[in-house]
Amino acid sequence: MVNVEEIRDYAAGLLEKGEVKSVLGFRRGSASAFAEPCTITNVGEAASLVWDPTCLNNLALYLVKDRKQQAVSKTPDTRPVGIVAKGCDSRAIGVLLQENYFKREDVVVIGVSCEGTGVVDPRKLSAKLKGRTASRVTFAVQGSTSVAGGRTPGATDGADGINVSVYGDETETVIPAREVLADRCLECRAAAPALNDVVFGNTVEARDFNEPFHAAKEAERLSEDERWATWERHFDRCLRCFACRAVCPMCYCPECVVDSTTFVVTLGTSAEEKANRIRWCERSANTSESAVYHLTRAIHLAGRCIDCGECERVCPVNIPLRLLNTKLEKEAFEMFEYQAGHDIEQASLLSSFRDEDPNSFIR
Amino acid sequence: MSNPSQTTEVQDFEPRIVAFLCKWCSSAGSDLAGVSRIQYSANATPITIPCSGSVSPMYILSAFNKGADGVLISGCHPGDCHYMEGNYLARRKLYLVKELLQFIGLESDRFRMSWVSAAEGAKFAEVVDEFVEDLRVLGPQNRLKAER
Amino acid sequence: MEKILRQEKLREWVDTLDDCEVYAPAFADSVWNFARVEAGTDIDLSHTNTIGSVKAFTFPQREVFFRFEKKDGVPVLTPTLPDPKPTVVFGVRPCDGRGMPRNDTVFNKEFEDPYYWARRNKLTLVGLACNQPHSPNCFCQSVGGSPHAEEGLDILMTDLGDRFHVKGVTAKGVEAMERGRDAFDAVSDADQTEVDKVHETSRSYPQRPIGDLDAISEALRESFDSPLWADMAQHCIGCGICTFLCPTCHCFDINDEVISPTTGEGERVRTWDNCQFPDFTMHTSGHNPRGDLGSRLRQRVNHKFLYFVENHKTQQCTGCGRCITECPVGIDIVAVLERVGQS
Repeated sequence: MVNVEEIRDYAAGLLEKGEVKSVLGFRRGSASAFAEPCTITNVGEAASLVWDPTCLNNLALYLVKDRKQQAVSKTPDTRPVGIVAKGCDSRAIGVLLQENYFKREDVVVIGVSCEGTGVVDPRKLSAKLKGRTASRVTFAVQGSTSVAGGRTPGATDGADGINVSVYGDETETVIPAREVLADRCLECRAAAPALNDVVFGNTVEARDFNEPFHAAKEAERLSEDERWATWERHFDRCLRCFACRAVCPMCYCPECVVDSTTFVVTLGTSAEEKANRIRWCERSANTSESAVYHLTRAIHLAGRCIDCGECERVCPVNIPLRLLNTKLEKEAFEMFEYQAGHDIEQASLLSSFRDEDPNSFIR
Repeated sequence: MSNPSQTTEVQDFEPRIVAFLCKWCSSAGSDLAGVSRIQYSANATPITIPCSGSVSPMYILSAFNKGADGVLISGCHPGDCHYMEGNYLARRKLYLVKELLQFIGLESDRFRMSWVSAAEGAKFAEVVDEFVEDLRVLGPQNRLKAER
Repeated sequence: MEKILRQEKLREWVDTLDDCEVYAPAFADSVWNFARVEAGTDIDLSHTNTIGSVKAFTFPQREVFFRFEKKDGVPVLTPTLPDPKPTVVFGVRPCDGRGMPRNDTVFNKEFEDPYYWARRNKLTLVGLACNQPHSPNCFCQSVGGSPHAEEGLDILMTDLGDRFHVKGVTAKGVEAMERGRDAFDAVSDADQTEVDKVHETSRSYPQRPIGDLDAISEALRESFDSPLWADMAQHCIGCGICTFLCPTCHCFDINDEVISPTTGEGERVRTWDNCQFPDFTMHTSGHNPRGDLGSRLRQRVNHKFLYFVENHKTQQCTGCGRCITECPVGIDIVAVLERVGQS
């Protein structure tokens, strides 16, 4: 059972001893019952840190942002950053370390185990509440309707509850976790952060939710025409707001192939040169262009996606983007025995090969 | 019987293949097919690349976006890469591309990979012929093609 | 014109609009969005608010301006002015309705945008009053609107349980009602009392306050160089959710989409653009005057509550709350205004 006071004390300790310049964590937001990311820089702010099933964000994104800021700063502050990390978030840090984005000593990982549950999917919760809005969401002890902050330690049956209060109606309901947890949490294979400097909460080995890659396997079962009908609908309604890219800690390229900002136009650039410049993807948000964008992004994340599910969560039109990534992670795992973010020393998926890699698909 | 207006669309349809060919092997193989006067389908537009390992998945997506009916990547047999391991890296990467394209429901016969050495002119001709036949059955590629 | 429409007669009215394209909210893939109503299907007006705003009907995300090609070496342009069928949109919430005249101003003031107006002139908006807020982030009343505001709507419907009160606001709206006149009943005194009560109740729900809007504009003007912006945008990820979902954000980009460089064939296309993207203000030189997220957040807020007020004497925000609810990192325009106001 995670006691949020311990996280606060630990974060305050890091700041007090000057071991970190800041701590990335979660605090209550003004916009909803869901927590929002925060960066605290002094001991006093540590009391605002929270830990509950609404701590959705993968804060590793802000390690990347900090790195980018320091790189262009005239007076870079290179002191380490502390970060509250769930299992998936710690794998993201693992991939960033593997790719030498920063060094292990640059980050203090305050691990938090999701134990027998995980984080809530806001859309599932909204559907469960029939469109009403939650005002408070906490972990609940199974069967309890009290305001309990705790849950049964070591519970493995996946029946732990999520305690929900509703906006405008302060009665509390306990919803079984499996009904409102995000899909990624239902398929999570490592809910406790393996990469850490400290972990709060127990490591729960057996979590009886869905098998790994469950959703991707379900999607594979459709026929070819059904699969295209589904994805055509998804690509078609994409707004190209690029929230999936913006929220992804692995999408750190300074410039993305779908933005054409490196084409240098001078006085001497002819109309032909402008017309013929390479544009892999037009700005129009139509099916074909959005397909190029999403498929490119999926391939670029192959062997790098640690399934934090942020892309899918932030999508305003609810495109199940996570499926594209988990499909490739499934192939990486089954065909190449590769798991992203599990070993920071391993060679990356696409820069390595084995003699026994599949060859029969090649003529 | 021979009324041309009754010919079906499939018979009229000439598939367009974009073929990315490694300059060290398959590109030379296609040249050999030519100088050996092997008769084979003229549906493939060859694009010579330095190595199958240099193929970015963007090339494939872009070809489909611009209306290719099929995309062929051809490189050196395992063990024969001029750069030692480019084709092994290609194999892994393009396996994932193939899986991804199938996952979103692009017809699986539209993307193909082959190993063709500089000495295999006949094999190159066969690969292209087979690909063209399979694409004829599928008809035009409209799923990823831009609607412009 | 004010009428009563029984729930079961809605279908009958919609059927009389058979030469129009009818759109209504539909719940698909777990989100409400406007979708084409096929003949003979029912309209579900139990929606909260649609994820996308009604602006896309007049300002679609992709608009082709003209086609071009080279014939005998000479460029030939073919205009592609849209000529849509008359379009009727049901279930428009009053906040979206109020967005429409604001967009009209933008696309009319200095230059009458023919593409926008070709669609706008064919559009009839049938509003649905909000009997209670859909979300704690609704704040229409704090920006001069109301849950039953008629501004921008052609018709306002109010749900009275088993029936709707339907009010034709504009001539276009009255005409749409006339066509379905057989479906409507007269408004009784009891109906009128009830609709007034529903409207009154809908206004009584607490909404997030903004305070004096003039004072906010002044505070924004004073805070241009404030370090608050960087602080408030600290966790902004720079995506386009807030602006793309906004009923009044209207910035766009124009590109040539070349089909074939050899024949010079292609289309000139207008697409939505977004002040939160880094390339929005990027100069050719590579310099970016709004290079950081703080300045981009400031731009969005200032545009709505300062610049638009200076130019058009009204706020450009209608309080739909989409940008707050959908922000992946909890950036909240009401909280932003509050902090700026207090500084």
